[in-house]
Amino acid sequence: MSALLQLLVNGLVFSCIIVLGGIGLSLVYSIADFANFAHGDLMTVGAFAAFVSAGALAGVLPDVTFFELPLALYVGLFVGMAAAALVAVGTEWLVYRPLKNAGSIELLITSIGVALAYRALIQMQFGSGQRSYAIDRQGRVEWLFDAVGVALTPRDFVVIGLTLALVVGLHALLQYTTLGRKMRATADNPNLARVSGIRTREVVLAMWIIGGALAAAGGVFLGIDLLVRPRMGFDLLLVVFAAVILGGIGSVYGAMLGGLVIGMAHELTPAIPFVGVEYASGVAFVLMVAILLLRPHGIMGEPA
Amino acid sequence: MSAETPTTDRSASATNRILDVDGVDSGYGEVQVLSDLSLHLNEGEIVCLIGPNGAGKSTVLKTVFGLLAPWTGQITLRGEPIGGRDPADLVRDGVGYVPQVDNVFGSLSIDENLRMGGVARRDGLEEVIGQLYDRFPILREKEGAKARTLSGGQRQVLAFARALVMEPEVLLIDEPSAGLAPSIVQDVFENVQTVNDLGTTILMVEQNAREGLRISDRGYVLDQGSVAYEDDADQLLDNPEVSRLYLGGADYA
Ligand SMILES: Nc1ncnc2c1ncn2[C@@H]1O[C@H](COP(=O)(O)OP(=O)(O)O)[C@@H](O)[C@H]1O
Ligand SMILES: [Mg+2]
Repeated sequence: MSALLQLLVNGLVFSCIIVLGGIGLSLVYSIADFANFAHGDLMTVGAFAAFVSAGALAGVLPDVTFFELPLALYVGLFVGMAAAALVAVGTEWLVYRPLKNAGSIELLITSIGVALAYRALIQMQFGSGQRSYAIDRQGRVEWLFDAVGVALTPRDFVVIGLTLALVVGLHALLQYTTLGRKMRATADNPNLARVSGIRTREVVLAMWIIGGALAAAGGVFLGIDLLVRPRMGFDLLLVVFAAVILGGIGSVYGAMLGGLVIGMAHELTPAIPFVGVEYASGVAFVLMVAILLLRPHGIMGEPA
Repeated sequence: MSAETPTTDRSASATNRILDVDGVDSGYGEVQVLSDLSLHLNEGEIVCLIGPNGAGKSTVLKTVFGLLAPWTGQITLRGEPIGGRDPADLVRDGVGYVPQVDNVFGSLSIDENLRMGGVARRDGLEEVIGQLYDRFPILREKEGAKARTLSGGQRQVLAFARALVMEPEVLLIDEPSAGLAPSIVQDVFENVQTVNDLGTTILMVEQNAREGLRISDRGYVLDQGSVAYEDDADQLLDNPEVSRLYLGGADYA
């Protein structure tokens, strides 16, 4: 029982990372109307920007830690989010805006090129090896383990807590602010949005900023959970896609739910008899296909 | 004031022109739909645009509203050229548009739909939305419901109200009665009439040509992308040729 609970908790941490990546992927799909294959590498960009800035700030900021993570890394997280948002907006300006009359397939293929460009630039600077954030990794939180038999590290708390805060913040933005309503309106019916007087350019910009920042947070959390590698985001991309498609591509809430389900499925694989942990991604995809058979547009998706 | 030549007769109606479409060609990509199309709106009028399916009526509205750029010719609003300007700018200049289809945000609530109609307002948003709720109580009743749950008639009311949040001077409406039960069609025309009485100039496309013309001041018959007839609405209704070709035979009403 507590083994299963343990797997669920592990799944929650992985889910957080998938959710943060999936939201941006879904936003881009709903507003800019294409599947962005560079989104995984945007997560990598954020993770490396955080790595660099946290490293640079380590000697400057007071040497204090919260939940085993140094202050410099928290600041690095925000720098990483800002950097990825900037890169996303810059890419839109440089690449996607000039292609605004291109179709979804052309944009998809272009985004593969963008992904390669991001990765090449990172590898030119950092090589292809792996790095680690300067975290003094300790073990589980003992009182929690004693109480419920689940091993959770302090940094897991940070990942889960900050993801929750970001998701709740995004929900509030989408539901209760004018910008959020404009984003939903533009995703729902771009022509009517223009007809209503919405400046859709501003909406597209906001969408890239939010998607980029959240992707970076996901990337940094992946780096905190494991390591920082130039291929980290790309390797995750297919699982993120599975989550977003399962949830209903184009729906932000679908991306949240899909991320949760796929993250759990991924980590629960060892609990399935005769299926090895190396099939974790496979299990996630099988689940995606099974759900799509029942609901062809995903859990929260609507027929076009 | 006017850039016209001094020899032009400046009748009262000419000076009250609010919208002028002059010799416009337009279409989609390479496909030309409108050729040398001219029409105008005088302040305070309801003008009805009728004609067979595919004649280019919707294309006229889309071109005026900047969803399509005119290939040639001029479109002016109170004398200012507006051809090819962005719809988001036209909304701010007092022009509104109710598309024929997909004219509500289905996943947004009724209230949010109205708010989106007013994004370009500087002030008075709550007040205007309150007035629209008073005028269309069904919208207030369903305020929090998603627009996609509305019936066809209610949806048309919402689409209309969404455009009215900006209190436009000129309103372009594309087939407001399309697909509605005959019992509601009359309500739709009444709403159009009321908005016009409150001072909005209206250019309306209608398939229900006879009904549309009855509430209109003037009408244009569009055929294959050009104006085939233009006259006062009652003259068009009385014109036997127009009646035979475009109004489905003798007046039965
Ligand atoms: N988005 C479009 N792309 C290409 N052709 C179109 C498009 N919309 C309409 N058309 C064509 O333009 C012509 C006029 O259409 P439209 O203005 O919608 O006619 P109406 O509103 O009078 O029925 C038709 O032949 C139609 O097929
Ligand atoms: Mg039409």
